[in-house]
Amino acid sequence: MAKNAVLSRAILFALAGALGACSAVKSDPDGTGENVVANAAHPERVYWGDTHLHTANSVDAFGFGNRLGPEMALRFARGEIVTSSTGVRAQLARPLDFLVIADHSDGLGVTRRLFDAPEFMVTDPTLRRWRAMMHESPAQSQRAIGELITAAATNSLPAQFRNPQVNTEGTRRIWQNHLEIVERYNQPGRFTAFGGFEFSLMPNGNNLHRVVMFRDGIRRTGRVIPFGSIGDVPVERLWDYMDGYERTTGGRVLAIPHNGNLSNGLMFELTGPDGGPMRADYARRRMAHEPVVEATQNKGDSESHPFLSPNDEFAGFGDAGWELGNLPLNERKTPDMFAGEYLREALKRGLTLEAQMGVNPYRFGMVGGTDMHTSLTTSDEDNFLGDHSGNEPSPGRVMAPQTIGTAEGRFGWNFLAGGYTGVWATSNTRAAIFDAIARREVYASTGPRMVVRLFGGFDFTPQDFSGDWVGAGYRRGVPMGGELTGNGQNRAPTFLISALRDPIGANLDRVQMVKGWIDDAGATHEQIYDVAWSSPETRHKVEGRLTPVGNTVDLAHASYTNAIGAPELRTVWRDPDFQPGQRAFYYLRVLEIPTPRWVVYDAVRFGYRLPAGVDPVDQERAYSSPIWYNPAPAAPRTAAMQHLSYRPA
Amino acid sequence: MRGILTRWLREPLVHFLLGGMLIFVWFAWRGTPVDAESRTITITRAEVAALASGFAGQAARAPTSAELDQMLDDRVREEIYYREALRLGLDIDDPVIRRRLRSKMEFLAASADEGVPPPAGAIDTYFAAHRAQYARDARLSFDQIFVSSAAIAPDGPRSAAIIERLNEMGDNWAALGEPISLPAHMDGAMAGDLDARFGPGFAAALARAPQHQWAGPVRSGYGWHMVRLMARGGGDIPPLAEVRQQVENDWRAETGDARQRAAWRLLRNAYRVTIER
Repeated sequence: MAKNAVLSRAILFALAGALGACSAVKSDPDGTGENVVANAAHPERVYWGDTHLHTANSVDAFGFGNRLGPEMALRFARGEIVTSSTGVRAQLARPLDFLVIADHSDGLGVTRRLFDAPEFMVTDPTLRRWRAMMHESPAQSQRAIGELITAAATNSLPAQFRNPQVNTEGTRRIWQNHLEIVERYNQPGRFTAFGGFEFSLMPNGNNLHRVVMFRDGIRRTGRVIPFGSIGDVPVERLWDYMDGYERTTGGRVLAIPHNGNLSNGLMFELTGPDGGPMRADYARRRMAHEPVVEATQNKGDSESHPFLSPNDEFAGFGDAGWELGNLPLNERKTPDMFAGEYLREALKRGLTLEAQMGVNPYRFGMVGGTDMHTSLTTSDEDNFLGDHSGNEPSPGRVMAPQTIGTAEGRFGWNFLAGGYTGVWATSNTRAAIFDAIARREVYASTGPRMVVRLFGGFDFTPQDFSGDWVGAGYRRGVPMGGELTGNGQNRAPTFLISALRDPIGANLDRVQMVKGWIDDAGATHEQIYDVAWSSPETRHKVEGRLTPVGNTVDLAHASYTNAIGAPELRTVWRDPDFQPGQRAFYYLRVLEIPTPRWVVYDAVRFGYRLPAGVDPVDQERAYSSPIWYNPAPAAPRTAAMQHLSYRPA
Repeated sequence: MRGILTRWLREPLVHFLLGGMLIFVWFAWRGTPVDAESRTITITRAEVAALASGFAGQAARAPTSAELDQMLDDRVREEIYYREALRLGLDIDDPVIRRRLRSKMEFLAASADEGVPPPAGAIDTYFAAHRAQYARDARLSFDQIFVSSAAIAPDGPRSAAIIERLNEMGDNWAALGEPISLPAHMDGAMAGDLDARFGPGFAAALARAPQHQWAGPVRSGYGWHMVRLMARGGGDIPPLAEVRQQVENDWRAETGDARQRAAWRLLRNAYRVTIER
């Protein structure tokens, strides 16, 4: 017995060593950073981050050749030099302030296990073939993953992949390991690392993906495992999972839908999930769980589409290729689908649904992500490391067909360089950044770190800019993401607007206010106002269109100059077409001057001519979260509303 | 030989492997917890609870009794097949099981690397060699005005004129600047935050300015600034305790591969391998 006790003690000792590493931060048991860093009275600077990055733990990323795990992803985001999976030494010009690693919850680490498994262990003929392809060559490996994505999209994954028990065990191990690394890199006040995952719901290949991000540290996040979508789990089950997490741990979690542009009309439907009328309960839950939507990322931009906004000359940004169909392109797009895919239209649909139900399911803010599968969160045109490791810098990548699924008609050049999120938070901590996202005080950028501020109120004047206008904005109005309610005096809303270019980026062309509203007959409309632009002395509106800013791009050298445009544009704007009884939203779109796209940097770097048909130049942009205008509450009209407004004496 | 031994004894992976060996010895000596001879299966209350909570972790609700029965049935089925397989000796020389055990060992080694604290002294040594990397951010308090025009190049006649006018303006100095949404005055701003807002290199240039007097121009990403540095602090090396996690991260990242190779060599060297051809 004595011998036994000694051995037991030795084992305990060995285990204690392993556990010791977990108790590094004593003052921050929940890992939210709330009591570690002082918060500013109101947000003073914008914090930049990527809300959507994949590492080698993602089933497809590994298959595409990514061999970098979360640790390297975090080191890269905070500014360290990292060597990519294909051997490119890379470093961000400027570190990010925060990062959400969002590996696919489905089959977390599964491809790595398949890759490592001995051949005869793999009995399923499909898995056997994929395994062989993964070992054969990087190109074959990418084809295998293309097939895998298609199978996932069409619900025809081999049974072994769908075995929940096997997967749960693997998921739990990788999740714990992942969270420990995230915890080690979270440095309140300097760099924030969030726990998160991607819920990759994709019925018939129609993309309904969500990034799920947690506000808390491992003590809470370690009590759950990422929630899977295999078997076309409806999104309400994800919300149940989120509710369960918050109830059992006391933590907080939110979800960020993305790539509406690949959903074939399903992301922002007017109907409920069962095809019948949308229920208020569904709308309320959607709003509560999904306060923001990803507007832009490397697989296209979902803000607007020329089909929906024919009068918007800038609506087509990042739509080429992606607009052809859903994610694996197993179903082509038809024009009637666009309205359920793009954010501007969704915001309008929200007004329609609110008129019907009294609840707006699509009252969301806008964020940007990269969705890179390389573990390397790059977002600038001059540092495009690739959507996935098979797409890392090489001479042929611009015209390479994108073998995601059975793709025809999508090519390397359709990828955007990726987006980032600007967050108006009071400190660089999980709590402050999460809370800012939850209250929608955030904006999306297609890469450049421009500083965009927007306040809505009823009495802002240009004189406000000569004083502490930010303070005035918070005191007398609401920031982006907020709501204005009519004061009964029929005064039009006024907006304090400021856009400062990226300190190391291109000048600004113009700032636009995008307004959407619903008229008394229930029809929705949109209107774009140019509210501030560079060189106003020489640029004028002709038939409603502003003189173009010009173009300094030198394609031969992949360069531009800031000889045109302005470093900052700011103004106070009053809605000239305001109708006090009509619900409306207002958001900013800030356009840079034209700059070379990543394909031009590639052409110069590798010394070739860009093929015809490839867009070489674009105007990068930022989208603020909207501010909503609600008419002054009228006298209660229905029994239900009376009930809502009843207050006991 | 003695040197190698002490080095080994300091190596966390050695501790880990010894711990692992002890666990195996203990199980071998006590008999494995699953007794292949036994034909009695007891699923304890704790195991049932673990099954249910595993389900709840995924589904965010407790399983129904039918679901739980299904899981229990599956559990019993697995246990019986497992014991029968052991009885038949199917675990011996099965390449699938060998490969699975190998990958478990590799995983254990990898997570040992993740979980085991670094050997005593390693972090101190690493910190001593890379101290400058962990300096606290410089903190700067200053006034600034923005002058977009390139006409005020350094040492240009106009910068002297602007400084003169700034001095004349007294407390009203801010009126001289061109409008830009950057703070005219900051107290104790961190150098990293300054570079993020004004552009890389601004903080370093500002820190070189003389204190309590107008100077410049200093270049930002937007143009030129006349600056008055009021106070300069920070930039000192913090005690190790304050940055221990960061130092440990860097130490792990830099030495991870080498330590895993060393651990493998350690194992490999304990074997004599003969290959007959």
